[in-house]
Amino acid sequence: MRARLLSKHEFHRFLEKLKSQGTLVAPVKEDIVRFKEITDVSAITTEGHPLFPLKKYFSPQKRKIFTYENNNIEEVLPEKQYIMFGARLCDINALLRLDKLFLGDISDRYYQRARANNLIIGLHCEIPPNEMCFCESMGLSDSGYDLLFCDAGENFHIKVGSERGNALVQDLPESDFQPEPIKTEKKLHNTEIAAFFENDAWKKEVEKCLSCGACTTLCPTCLCFDVYDDPDVEMNKGARITEWDSCQYEDFTKVAGGHVFRQAREQRFRHRIFHKIQYYKDQFGEFMCTGCGRCIEGCPTKIDFVEILNGMKQ
Amino acid sequence: MTELPEIATVDDIKQQTTSEYLIRINKGYKHDPGQFFQISLFNIGEAPISICSYDKNYIEMSIRSVGNVTDKLNALQKGDTIGIRGPYGRGYPMHDFKDNNLILIGGGSGVAPLRGVIQYIEKHRDDYKDVHLFFGFREPKEMLFKEDIESYKEKFDVHLTVDHPDDHWKGNVGVITKLLEESRVSNENTIVFLCGPPIMMKFGLQTLEKMGFNRDQVYLSFERQMKCGEKKCGHCMMNGVYVCKEGPVFRYDEVEGLSEKW
Ligand SMILES: Cc1cc2nc3c(=O)[nH]c(=O)nc-3n(C[C@H](O)[C@H](O)[C@H](O)COP(=O)(O)OP(=O)(O)OC[C@H]3O[C@@H](n4cnc5c(N)ncnc54)[C@H](O)[C@@H]3O)c2cc1C
Ligand code: SF4
Ligand code: SF4
Ligand code: FES
Repeated sequence: MRARLLSKHEFHRFLEKLKSQGTLVAPVKEDIVRFKEITDVSAITTEGHPLFPLKKYFSPQKRKIFTYENNNIEEVLPEKQYIMFGARLCDINALLRLDKLFLGDISDRYYQRARANNLIIGLHCEIPPNEMCFCESMGLSDSGYDLLFCDAGENFHIKVGSERGNALVQDLPESDFQPEPIKTEKKLHNTEIAAFFENDAWKKEVEKCLSCGACTTLCPTCLCFDVYDDPDVEMNKGARITEWDSCQYEDFTKVAGGHVFRQAREQRFRHRIFHKIQYYKDQFGEFMCTGCGRCIEGCPTKIDFVEILNGMKQ
Repeated sequence: MTELPEIATVDDIKQQTTSEYLIRINKGYKHDPGQFFQISLFNIGEAPISICSYDKNYIEMSIRSVGNVTDKLNALQKGDTIGIRGPYGRGYPMHDFKDNNLILIGGGSGVAPLRGVIQYIEKHRDDYKDVHLFFGFREPKEMLFKEDIESYKEKFDVHLTVDHPDDHWKGNVGVITKLLEESRVSNENTIVFLCGPPIMMKFGLQTLEKMGFNRDQVYLSFERQMKCGEKKCGHCMMNGVYVCKEGPVFRYDEVEGLSEKW
């Protein structure tokens, strides 16, 4: 399908059209840039990279799986149909990574429903929005979007990724534009890390980790969760909840009797990195990490796993 | 998460030891020995529990009170309801063991899933050759399935031991691995089930190796924190392996290289 051209004068009108078709989510500049549900399209920004990723729209931080009243169960499924504007390629790829986990052999119905009619309008990175970006090393695929907006001064060139996307832009003038692959200053050089499991650098470099879980909260592909019940005071009803959890917390692997399988913080840190760079790839053939840089940017003690891995020698 | 719990009625609940109760649900579920259910009580929460029976008409579970959910499960009365989802995980591939001798080594609550294996063997007795049971408990009063074990003595080669005997105990005292070594059971055409606390499995593996068993003759069962049972929540990962789905039963050579197994 041919690319299209949209004059920036027409941009707000285009966004209005999107908004009329579902719940529009897009980056807004507040104290920081955040993805938000949009009421006023003029609040949308195409600058910067939202610190918090899109995963909350597909499996909220605290999510009711079902409500119960006496012995009757009612499943809770998403109500909104999201149209996402302004997702960068790392975040679009992150959804593709999560799809493999949540739509795999046992699909998560909530996630599936939220993803099913989800429309994604990406925003190409002419220059990386953040100095922590290293997506160039992570083999991102140029897919997963319905449309991809590429800023070209006066205009946007719009790359078309799906029939649904095409239907939104088919009245616009055609364009021959092809976006340049994204180049990042920061790079992950060591992507084959199996031999680095036992390495002194883990302990040394991760000593200052607070096990706070900021990295897992910010990561667009971290979606581990806890399961618990939230009863009503009258105790005849309540809800079973999944809530984001973190492998960085000590009790994440605790079992009855008190044994913890990853007792040392560097073991927990290493587990996360191995999941992102090694284990997921063993299973699905691609990295789980999409190089968005958030876990580095948002770490209160500025632990940089890319530098840690780059510094390791066989 | 995907599968919603079904409501099931507790058709029987019996005290087994000071802290363990046997719960029966008169409903059959197609399953393999070694698989587990996620059992829940509304308002309280959910816990993974092994199936310790093998019958098309009912399931039994032996539950040890160690906290929130298990304490409340053990306080249930006949007729109360629970939530149940599953069965989950990969159990013992019993078909693959046809025409083999079987050695079942269980420590403490590790005996529970093995009881499911025994009930399977009883229903398919001609498929297997000699069956040896090695069960160890901390104290005689912690012994699970006493009556069942009595009846096994008539059918199988049974070895029992306790760590700390009381005044009435006349049997073996000491670790299960010692009994195993002394028994000199042959490693020919033999499959070993090793189920118990990590320390017991670790020493068990050493003993078995000394006795000439290969890694692919030994099946282990692992315990992890398991919130979903559906390969989603991440809690059960052992390196890159999801124990809830790919396990909890593994052949030893499948997990030997995983540094996080103990
Ligand atoms: C595959 C499998 C099969 C099992 N089969 C059986 C069985 O047949 N019978 C049986 O009795 N048990 C079985 N268990 C163990 C059982 O699931 C646990 O004992 C149970 O989940 C404990 O839950 P609880 O709510 O009673 O205890 P909790 O109140 O959750 O905790 C009890 C103790 O566990 C630790 N703990 C566990 N989770 C956490 C957490 N999130 N945070 C902090 N501490 C924690 C703590 O040390 C605490 O003191 C099995 C476990 C697995 C994985
Ligand atoms: S690496 Fe940083 S963000 Fe992650 S848990 Fe440690 S201190 Fe928190
Ligand atoms: S691991 Fe860090 S850089 Fe990679 S996707 Fe997650 S937050 Fe982004
Ligand atoms: S128990 Fe949730 S992933 Fe295994």
